[in-house]
Amino acid sequence: MKRGIEIINRINRKRILLVSLFIALGFIIITLRVFLIMVIQHNQYMKRAERQHQKTIHIEPLRGTIYDRMGRELAVSVELESLYGVPSEIEDPKFVAAKLSSVLGMSYHSIEKRLEGHKNFIWLNRKLDPNSVKKIKDLSLDSKEIGFLTESKRFNPKRSLAGHLLGFVGMDNQGLEGVEFAYDKELKGEVGWLILERDALGRNIFPSKHNYKPSSSGKNLFLTIDEVIQHITEKELDKGMERWKAKGAMAIVMNPGTGEILSMVVRPEFNPNIVGSYKSSDWRNKAITDLYEPGSTFKVISSAAVLEEGIVKEKDLFDCSKGEIEVGGKIIRDAHRHGVLSFAEVIQKSSNVGAIQVGMKLGKNRFYKYIKDFGFGEKTEIDLPGESYGKVRETKKWSGTSIGAISIGQEIGVTPLQLLVAFSAIANNGYLMKPYIVSEIRDHEGKLVKSFKSQVVRKVISENTSKRLTDILRTVVEEGGTATKAAIEGNLVAGKTGTAQKIDPETGTYSHQKYVSSFVGFLPADDPKISIIVVVDEPQGAIYGGSVAAPIFKEIAEQVLTYLKIPIMEQGHSLLLSKGP
Amino acid sequence: MHERSGYDRILMISALILVVLGIVMIYSSSAFIAMQRYNTPFYFLRNQVVWAVIGIIGMVVAKNFDYKKLKSLSLPLIVISVLLLIIVLIPNIGKEVNGARRWLRVLGFSFQPSELAKLTLIISISAYIAKRSDRMGDFVYGFFPPVVLLGAFQIPIIFQPDIGTALGLGIMVITLLYIGGVKVPHILSLGIPLTPFIVKIVFNEGYRKKRLIAFIDPWSDPTGAGFQVIQSSLALGSGGIFGLGLGEGKQKLFFLPEPHTDFIYSLIGEELGFLGASLVIFLYLIILWRGTRIAVRTEDLFGRFLAMGLTIMIGVQAMMNLGVASGLLPPKGLPLPFVSFGGSSLLINMIALGILLNISKSINTISLAQSSSIKRESWVKSKSRKDSVNL
Repeated sequence: MKRGIEIINRINRKRILLVSLFIALGFIIITLRVFLIMVIQHNQYMKRAERQHQKTIHIEPLRGTIYDRMGRELAVSVELESLYGVPSEIEDPKFVAAKLSSVLGMSYHSIEKRLEGHKNFIWLNRKLDPNSVKKIKDLSLDSKEIGFLTESKRFNPKRSLAGHLLGFVGMDNQGLEGVEFAYDKELKGEVGWLILERDALGRNIFPSKHNYKPSSSGKNLFLTIDEVIQHITEKELDKGMERWKAKGAMAIVMNPGTGEILSMVVRPEFNPNIVGSYKSSDWRNKAITDLYEPGSTFKVISSAAVLEEGIVKEKDLFDCSKGEIEVGGKIIRDAHRHGVLSFAEVIQKSSNVGAIQVGMKLGKNRFYKYIKDFGFGEKTEIDLPGESYGKVRETKKWSGTSIGAISIGQEIGVTPLQLLVAFSAIANNGYLMKPYIVSEIRDHEGKLVKSFKSQVVRKVISENTSKRLTDILRTVVEEGGTATKAAIEGNLVAGKTGTAQKIDPETGTYSHQKYVSSFVGFLPADDPKISIIVVVDEPQGAIYGGSVAAPIFKEIAEQVLTYLKIPIMEQGHSLLLSKGP
Repeated sequence: MHERSGYDRILMISALILVVLGIVMIYSSSAFIAMQRYNTPFYFLRNQVVWAVIGIIGMVVAKNFDYKKLKSLSLPLIVISVLLLIIVLIPNIGKEVNGARRWLRVLGFSFQPSELAKLTLIISISAYIAKRSDRMGDFVYGFFPPVVLLGAFQIPIIFQPDIGTALGLGIMVITLLYIGGVKVPHILSLGIPLTPFIVKIVFNEGYRKKRLIAFIDPWSDPTGAGFQVIQSSLALGSGGIFGLGLGEGKQKLFFLPEPHTDFIYSLIGEELGFLGASLVIFLYLIILWRGTRIAVRTEDLFGRFLAMGLTIMIGVQAMMNLGVASGLLPPKGLPLPFVSFGGSSLLINMIALGILLNISKSINTISLAQSSSIKRESWVKSKSRKDSVNL
């Protein structure tokens, strides 16, 4: 019996130990499992947990307004409602999708697909018009499943006015083009946020400390643009476009004394409110991004150089009677045959033969220097995105014909703005100004944050040269000049026509059908207040700058002068270009 | 081994640390829910503190109550337990919470008869094994009667329904019987008639089936059935090594189901990190070690089985709860002994602790006087000597 108990004892103890070890093993396995979850996979679980606990509500700042120089609104932000969904709360995605698809005009499947799954937040449709908002609210869907958040949408109240210049913003109000892009940092303000802790039922719980940051409104911009001048420029350019059935057109009005851009127009038009309905190539501000061969307008550059260098005087004669000239083995002709012309007449009548002789007298090195001094081949550094450098080759890359070609504005690529800035230097006693578009940045309370002053880039020619050149350019619009149609009664206009053949991309040679007609000028010639460039791309029916661009120039100039109350034939009065409020 | 006065202090202190930790974590986990439901953050805390006091009284009483007298209490305990288990099923008497009738309300306190049932079964079956230790190998006279008793307890519990507790009871009793010397084939034979029942029970009720499927692949339906499993892992996983800090846990905000009861361990992990989580396991391992030590050293057979039975009761419950919290086992509503909110569970475990301490008192007096001679006598020819010496 005692032996039996001993055996039982042994069995008991053995089994106790076995059970004990077995339970201990269980605990060790649990420890390993916990170690795996808590230490090794910590980050992964942490992120998942945070995602379900926290909902970050972004508090969108109100984007700053863009005003013209007189404080008129060009781009504003309006508040609109955006529809969001909470898929994790939606019990019947099919039902919700069916209801929404009719109102939103989105396909049932695309909505249903988005509503499935377990996300806590998705946008369904953003920045809805008030009408749709009302319709959706009338569906009276569960507010836990879908809801609205107020967002601001950019709106240009004047629609396409200055569209290329202003640019546009993306869905999240980020500037994508134009002023909106260039000054995005100032305009957008700072996004605020509020992180809400959430419980499993999706209810928001007391925001934790330091989890709130209010948004701060964006700053307002005041442009150098004048809405009225912009409107005049657009209207007249549109008329010209229609009259000449042109492919495109550009015009810029600038204050030559300061570099302020008063208007900048690109056609075809672009309305930033409906970005999606345009080709992306139509968004571009071609007045600063696209290059063209300036043609005869460029003759002014070599003229300025020879006058400044004292190589040629107004009365010096050039024989243009042959009507053609050979440069580097190539024959270049005049449009009309002229006789012997004085230097002034070469410009007035825009003789290629004469201009080439002038250029050859100047020589390529000096020519090149002046081209660069006038700002070609460099950005003007205007405060807009996407500006081109232009295309100016170094002299060592010039061929035998280059000196002749460049003398008449070929083999060189410029932007309309570059050419206008160069002309403005002539109008401004030889001082080349940096063009600019934003004059002031103010905060939403109206306090000045930053103001921009006009900047001289360099002095290119002397005052004397600029006066003498201006006098020559005045003859262009006079009887016997190429641009009599740019003449304004009772005012003095100085300018130059340009008619450039476009290079046919297929043959690589100059086309005989496609031209770029332009006119650049400033006025009043004796005390220039405005300078204007008009460029018409592929006009039909007429090709000459004097016929196509000059009349547009005249219309713009006349109305702008009237608007600015620049007195006719009176001198010495101060310009009434006033700044914004 | 080094105790001078009577009882196992290491065991007691380990358990009491768990109780204190439980109270702290219950407050942390339940303050928000309590505020929502009862308008005071202290509701669950207060309740648990009251029960902890009652539990300590129960422990002290049990500690000073000669465990050998428990043998004679077996029958009355069985009768009371079964009666209570049946009463709780009667509508309007048993309090129904979440579709299960598990609680009796007595004098303003909720009491869970199934908790008492655990203790009753351990005591009565230990007494049974001790009495028939030489016949435990017999199927009819040794193995069968306690299995019938187990069934008598399990059936009303299954009707509550509380499958988790019924299963837990089964594991405890069978393990105890195994230690008592029943033959392994006898135990395995139970599987044959029970298999269809288990399958039916588990797959009968939609929610349980869902839970099981969700356990196998919780991410297949993270907001539905897999919710508990995922939320528990998320809580643990967010904790890292050092935890988010006491009171900083986020999962208790309704994400974690029952953060103060069944899933309190997940919250401990979230707030106290792996260090806190492994401390809890460490404390259970100590309890297991001390309990086993008492069982091995007790010469009295009833004391031995009782000590091991109670140790298994605590250990198995802890293992099952931790297994669920760590995603190793499918979810079932079992409390974490000493830690989870729940008065009856705490009281019963404290009494169990008291009984263990009482048994430890007797082994120490014996071991001081006789341990060397007993060891020589009964283990001299044993080859498994090493196993015991280190205990």
